Amino acid sequence: MKTLIDFYHKLLSWLLVATVAILIVPVSMQIVSRFTGLIPSYIWTEELSRFMFIWMVMLGAMIAVRERTHFDVDVWPELSVRGAARLRIFSNLFVLLFALVFVYWGFQFVRFGWRQESELAELPMPFIFFAWPVAGLTWALFLGEAFLADFGILSSRPAP
Amino acid sequence: MTQAALTPTMAALLLFGAFFALLVARVPVAFALGLACLPSLLFEQRLSPMVLFNETFKAYNSFILLSVPFFLLTANLMGTGGITDRLVKLSRTMVGSMPGALAQINVVLSVFFAGISGSSTADAASQSKIFIDAQTKEGYDLSFSIAITAVSAVLAVIIPPSILMVVWGGVISTSIGALYLAGIIPGLLIAGAQMVTVHIYAVRRKYPVYPRATAREFFTSVLESVPALMTPFIIVGGILAGWFTPTESAAIAVIYASLLSIFVYREMDRARLATALSETGKLSAIALFCVGTASAFGWLLAYYQIPQALLSNVTSWGLGITGVGLFIAFCFLVVGCFLDAIPAIIIVGTTLEPLAHSVNMHPIQFAIIGIVALAFGLVTPPYGLCLMIACAVAKVRLRYALKDTLIMLIPMLVVLLALIIWPEIALFLPKLISPELVK
Repeated sequence: MKTLIDFYHKLLSWLLVATVAILIVPVSMQIVSRFTGLIPSYIWTEELSRFMFIWMVMLGAMIAVRERTHFDVDVWPELSVRGAARLRIFSNLFVLLFALVFVYWGFQFVRFGWRQESELAELPMPFIFFAWPVAGLTWALFLGEAFLADFGILSSRPAP
Repeated sequence: MTQAALTPTMAALLLFGAFFALLVARVPVAFALGLACLPSLLFEQRLSPMVLFNETFKAYNSFILLSVPFFLLTANLMGTGGITDRLVKLSRTMVGSMPGALAQINVVLSVFFAGISGSSTADAASQSKIFIDAQTKEGYDLSFSIAITAVSAVLAVIIPPSILMVVWGGVISTSIGALYLAGIIPGLLIAGAQMVTVHIYAVRRKYPVYPRATAREFFTSVLESVPALMTPFIIVGGILAGWFTPTESAAIAVIYASLLSIFVYREMDRARLATALSETGKLSAIALFCVGTASAFGWLLAYYQIPQALLSNVTSWGLGITGVGLFIAFCFLVVGCFLDAIPAIIIVGTTLEPLAHSVNMHPIQFAIIGIVALAFGLVTPPYGLCLMIACAVAKVRLRYALKDTLIMLIPMLVVLLALIIWPEIALFLPKLISPELVK
């Protein structure tokens, strides 16, 4: 199971790298086409870059839940290992709630955009909206893993 | 018009109450903002959680925010591609003979870095790796080293280019070119204030000095750094000349930095490129995801007409332009403690704009006060990203470096105060170079 999640994590990371790398292409094309006749001025370059951008944000937000790099505010005094695990379980419950919101209403969001196409490039909009429920499901998966790890800490004997 | 079930006061209590309670429970800020919206979205008859989706989608579907990953990528390419090393060398020949040499280099490098990158978090991340360890090895106190690295990193959003200025210009429709020009003098003043602080520390604590560089060394390193130092001129000049939009200018910076690292300094390879891309994606996505939920939060504030309720109170105080300036700075300083700067602009900047307008404050002065105050928020606890990053690199908790950080903020507060009292500090360069933008 862990290797499977690791693989999924890696896959998401590579997709993230790809979106960042691709992002730069349409924007530069836009500039080049303005100043030279080399390539025709593509009106959909802006749209394409925005869509890559949305996926980049959502992919990064998914990965950050597993890597625990979403920024939080640290107002607690130094906690014991078990105390920290307890607090983590508590705060992750809220994140899980948010993940479930993203799954439940996210699919409605996709259905709502089912027949829509983007204005310029005529990309199917569900392709974009899909990022939300996927993020919700991914968070739920990563959180499940975190819950198991933290319950593991709580049920193990306290360190001497 | 709205038939909201809650009065502005009750809604504000609910929204902010839920947000802060979640923060204390260590729920990440981005999620806390989104979760705080949920009760209203579920129980107000005219709203539904779809608002959350529409608002996050609208926030991410923005050509302006696209500049964020580009600015971060430029910064990451600088670090991996050898540009930063050249600039360190140049800074060393400039200020290496002053007391506290390495710390002064830290500040001067931040100024150069700020002229190329627009991201303070990227500056803090890369300089923490360079300086914190090196400074403690030379006998500087660890908390001082963390503090100066974090505090000098905030220059990146004040000296052009700047992510915050691009966002500000997009959200509150102010000329980004004019904002860039307006940030130069305040940025240099703050850098000066930091150098004075370092000097006082260094003399009192007898921090080490490097031998003076020869004129020859200085000119060689200037020559080596010239291509890198051209970046701000290309960006600011290109925008003022109307060659490209601010987002495109950020893309230009990426391309320029990669050309430099591949062809001029020749220190880029595929593995380093992949790391730079991946770090860029991760950091910008974390910051931007929060912008989405903050937009939903801000949308709800507007729905309940909370800003108007707050402002009608403040307007009745009858403040003058300086009073309003102080109030604006105070708001941004407080909000900056709890929120990242981009969401803060979206929520608070738009709220305060009518207030600034009501006393005829110049939109550019308003922007500079807001941005400088928010820059302070990058190092103030509990949510000071630059300080958090520097502490994470040094592997200590945030409060460890708190005292020195707060001491360093005092001279910078004096600069902020000066910006409020004398609008000309910010307006001088825009008026001089492109008066048509500053009517």
